[in-house]
Amino acid sequence: MKIVLQDVTMVYGQRKVLDGCSLTLEVEGLTALTGPSGCGKTTLLRLLAGLERPQGGTVRGIVPEESAILFQENRLLPWRSAGQQIRDVLPRSRWGEVEEWLRFAGLEGEGDTRPASLSGGMARRLALARCAALGGGLMLLDEPFAGVDEQRAARLMQRLEELGRPVLLISHEPSVLERCRRVYRLEGPPLRLVSAP
Amino acid sequence: MDLLLPSPMAVAASLWKLAGTPQFWLSALFTLGRVCQGVLGGVALGSALALLTHFTVWGERIFAPAIRVMRATPVVSFILLVYLWVDRATIPAVVAGLMVLPILWGNLTVGLESVDRQLLELARAYRFGRWKTLRLIYLPSLRTHFASGLLNAFGLAWKSGVAAEVICPPALAIGSRIQQAKVALETPELFAWTLVIVALSLGLEGILRRVVHPREERGQ
Repeated sequence: MKIVLQDVTMVYGQRKVLDGCSLTLEVEGLTALTGPSGCGKTTLLRLLAGLERPQGGTVRGIVPEESAILFQENRLLPWRSAGQQIRDVLPRSRWGEVEEWLRFAGLEGEGDTRPASLSGGMARRLALARCAALGGGLMLLDEPFAGVDEQRAARLMQRLEELGRPVLLISHEPSVLERCRRVYRLEGPPLRLVSAP
Repeated sequence: MDLLLPSPMAVAASLWKLAGTPQFWLSALFTLGRVCQGVLGGVALGSALALLTHFTVWGERIFAPAIRVMRATPVVSFILLVYLWVDRATIPAVVAGLMVLPILWGNLTVGLESVDRQLLELARAYRFGRWKTLRLIYLPSLRTHFASGLLNAFGLAWKSGVAAEVICPPALAIGSRIQQAKVALETPELFAWTLVIVALSLGLEGILRRVVHPREERGQ
């Protein structure tokens, strides 16, 4: 899929995160955005998810309502168990898939565990599984493997590929970037494309 | 001496005598019923108004100042005002409800303002509907605010309900019996009824505490 930003401007207070930004992202399988912290990658992802509105310009090629975003924070509901977190995003007709998604995240047998009892890596994997379970088209993942060991991250990336959905992810990890089909390098603020595949 | 400060024995004897009459149990039961009615009404109305004032601008503008005034009004003014509008037997429940309403409203309003914005954004991004957001995010977030509000409000409802019964005594009520004991200078009976009120209040608060803070939350 091709996402096109045309003259997009976004200002937070005095800070111009995007200043007439025009770029085209070809998202195919696992596609990565990388660049220094604070350059505007997260803002770009939030913009694509429809959580931010640009002050100017247009975004084409994406339907925010059909995308699924994994936030930089896990945002798990502290009072719901791991299984319930997955079930909460599934329609009733798909409740039978809960175990399958827990397996996706390598959390078999943890269905009754509350987030407070999960390690940082386990919580991250659960948040990723919940995002993937949500369904829809494009997946927007903000540092999906933060706190996840390299081996598990590789396994999760393989499973994400197997889903056959376009994935746009933010990462700084060389091992993650290596496994992505496309890598866009960004700089900023204001955000600009440094290199495209 | 028993007229000013009765001995514990005199109070115990009075309590024993009272407990042997059906009026004692009926008075306690009716008072309890009126206070519980008031608490239920106050909780329902306070919760509904908290949602209304939090989610609507017009609700906030119309009701928030009125509830703040209500919170600052002395209980005795309420009792005398309500006496003009409703019959005696209903006054304690209405007064108890009016005491509960602003406390519940205040606690839930603070709770609603402190609901995690990130979780609300998640609900929006993950396309939770209104009901699902209420059930999965708002209600669990508000639980502790609701519980502490209810515990505080219940004690106040109990005291104000009995006070209303003393000032506007209905037929069967603890407050009416206190009033009769005072008029007849039956100080041991006055103390005995006070003991009943304290015991009932502590007992009910204990039960309520167990209901709103389940065992695992109390760290047992």
